[in-house]
Amino acid sequence: MAEFTASVYQNEFLPDGGTDVNAIVTITCSGAGTAGQSGAGAAGEIIIVDTSGSMGPATMAAAKDAAQAAVAEIVDGTWFAIVAGSDRAMLAYPQVSSGPGMVRMDDRTRQEASEAISRFVGSGGTAMSTWLDLAGRLFSSVPDVTQRHAILLTDGENREGANMLDEAIARATGYFQCDCRGAGTDWQVAELRRISQALLGTVDIIPSPDQMRAQFQDMMRSSMARGIADAQLRVWAPQGAQILFVRQVSPSVEDLTARRVAVNPLTGGYPTGAWADESRDYHVAVRVAAKAIGQEQLAARVQIAIGDDVLAQALVKATWSNNSELTAKIDAQVAHYTGQTELAAMIQEGLAAKAAGDEATATTKLGRAVQLAASTGNDEATSKLRKVVEVENEREGTVRLKRTVDKADEMALDTASTKTTRIKKQTDPSTAGGTTT
Amino acid sequence: MSACTACGAALDGGAAFCEACGARQGAAVAGGPGAAVTPPVSEEAAPFDSVRVSAAAEIVADSGRRPCVECGGAVDDDAYCQLCGAKQPSERDHYRQEPAGEGGWVAGVCDRGIVHHRNEDAMALLGSPTSGERAVLVVLDGVSSAEDSHLASEAGARAACEALRAPFPQGMGTAESRHAAATALLAQAVRAANDAIDATTPEESANPASATFAVAVVEGERLVVANIGDSRVYWLPDGADGVQLTVDDSVAQMQMAAGATREAAESGPQAHAITRWLGRDAPDLAPRVAEATVSVPGWVLACSDGLWNYASDPQALRAQVDAAAVPTPDPMAIALGLLAFAKGCGGRDNITVALARVERAEAPSGRAPTPPGQNALIDPTEET
Repeated sequence: MAEFTASVYQNEFLPDGGTDVNAIVTITCSGAGTAGQSGAGAAGEIIIVDTSGSMGPATMAAAKDAAQAAVAEIVDGTWFAIVAGSDRAMLAYPQVSSGPGMVRMDDRTRQEASEAISRFVGSGGTAMSTWLDLAGRLFSSVPDVTQRHAILLTDGENREGANMLDEAIARATGYFQCDCRGAGTDWQVAELRRISQALLGTVDIIPSPDQMRAQFQDMMRSSMARGIADAQLRVWAPQGAQILFVRQVSPSVEDLTARRVAVNPLTGGYPTGAWADESRDYHVAVRVAAKAIGQEQLAARVQIAIGDDVLAQALVKATWSNNSELTAKIDAQVAHYTGQTELAAMIQEGLAAKAAGDEATATTKLGRAVQLAASTGNDEATSKLRKVVEVENEREGTVRLKRTVDKADEMALDTASTKTTRIKKQTDPSTAGGTTT
Repeated sequence: MSACTACGAALDGGAAFCEACGARQGAAVAGGPGAAVTPPVSEEAAPFDSVRVSAAAEIVADSGRRPCVECGGAVDDDAYCQLCGAKQPSERDHYRQEPAGEGGWVAGVCDRGIVHHRNEDAMALLGSPTSGERAVLVVLDGVSSAEDSHLASEAGARAACEALRAPFPQGMGTAESRHAAATALLAQAVRAANDAIDATTPEESANPASATFAVAVVEGERLVVANIGDSRVYWLPDGADGVQLTVDDSVAQMQMAAGATREAAESGPQAHAITRWLGRDAPDLAPRVAEATVSVPGWVLACSDGLWNYASDPQALRAQVDAAAVPTPDPMAIALGLLAFAKGCGGRDNITVALARVERAEAPSGRAPTPPGQNALIDPTEET
């Protein structure tokens, strides 16, 4: 039985006239079980492989191998389908033309799916909107499937009219989750990130074909471990207060602010997708009306809910004080994740400026990124940044752009920009919740 | 068009919350923060008005707890308001009494205020089910520099109230003998309160608990008050000038007696220094006792300095009563309105407000009712 807990890290003390309350809420799920096994509905997996003409023989061979490895990871009983994507999407397995477009995994279907994958031939263009739309139709053909996850692999950029992909993303948002992987260096990080962010998945680069199999196995194992199909983060704020932002800040930075749906006039719900046994951190910032010194109030209630059941909650408080020793402190978690969020923005903006030829801006932003990565202890970002810039002074954030950069290193820095590191938790957080599902 | 008491933005008529800053709009705040933009009291919605029109309705669940003391919203099991988020005070920090029943003629509220960390005021009320028959309003204000004054004042208030549960002896005597009998009973109540206070601190304490004491007893047209320290009783008749019936035992009062104006004395550095109190180190235990005839409709108000600090003059206090009475002249609503007023002014001390509503008494035959504002006020009599 799954159990959620919520802990809050914040400095609740505000100075006289202070209005902005920041808190990090850590939500931890345990006992999640296996996807589709909780009895609340079945799980469905769709593997989408780019089979356009751009896929070279080595990449295609690796992609087939990886897709077969992923199929091998799908737990028996899970509904699944294989889609071959080019300028249109083809249902490669199961080979049906009507009725349910997915089948349950067993020894026979696993074997048949592998054989179907082995017959992939690269030809045609790249129209990702059709891939997403077909995946959506396949999921909807099996009403039992309530936990929907897809893996999308491509090696190139989308070749469609400007809005085609965005509209397909919008149709899929909230319906299925999608992890995206780009093979080689001819695909667009921003494009796949748009898909993966909207569809609550991850994006990463697979620079060389020999890494593909391991990545697909990882993705599928992660997905199979998500026994909680769909949970919603809820944030209540008092009447008259303004929610400045709600961000997931660990394991990666995702701004959820604009994804609010009203639960009631004072409570917003934010999608978090499926959960495995894991912890995620959320940064919530609320602006409240200042109260008199000595007054205490609740600035936010942060809850995790499945359906209408609230499983855990953390209370974000505000207490006005004239003791500057109390009010001047910034909570270590808040400071850490504020830095990590800026780090992600600096990397993305720096690389965008570099691509646009604006070297001055790129140097400044990537320099700031180097400084933030060092000060927040994000070693992965530091090592990836060092492949793109020459660091003169890490603490000052002074860097020079490297003249020759491996494109894959730059893309790896970009895809990893939103990944964050944790710091050691403070002692004695207030913990609440822990209801079973 | 009025203006927000917090940010000064223009408000739509009757708005319960400011659209600009979200501040709740309450009773008139005189002299408090934002006083410059506060419209006259007559134009203001009283606090309970805003409760009724608040947007809470759609999300308020019946949690079985008292509504939020700040906004009237529903309160969650963790003691935070579901509407405005205000932390709800503990029962000691905010309590209400309606001894004559809900919506009855006697009501009081005792509250921590804003600045102090705990509520050292205490209150105990009695009220007959029949309106106007008999009410007892006891208010104690624990001295914050002493030990455990919050426990002492609570114990003292209860003890005094118990001592006054029986009516004054009516007897056959003269007005003077009846007054003497009432004075004796009130002196007993003071001793009971004092004993209860003493019981909360050990004999050897260097800083024993202490408290002020004020009581008002309404028996029909008869109002008897007694006090030690600077908690007060006012008689505020409808449509006529009110009077402060108690005389403070304070440095400010001594200065006023020596010719200083009320305003100067009560705002001076020693304004809150009291010269008499209850407790192990009390100088003496003789209350000042005064009587009045209350034969016209009006309010008997007993309060701690947490209220009168912001409206000491009887007329100023009456104006706040009237402002709080706009939506409903319900005693509890008015008590809460006065509390909101004192908090709006800064709430720098604990606040206690106890009210008894006197309606027009049936004039006994052969005797004309006393004209409004001309109550027969017997001179305050000090017992020795």
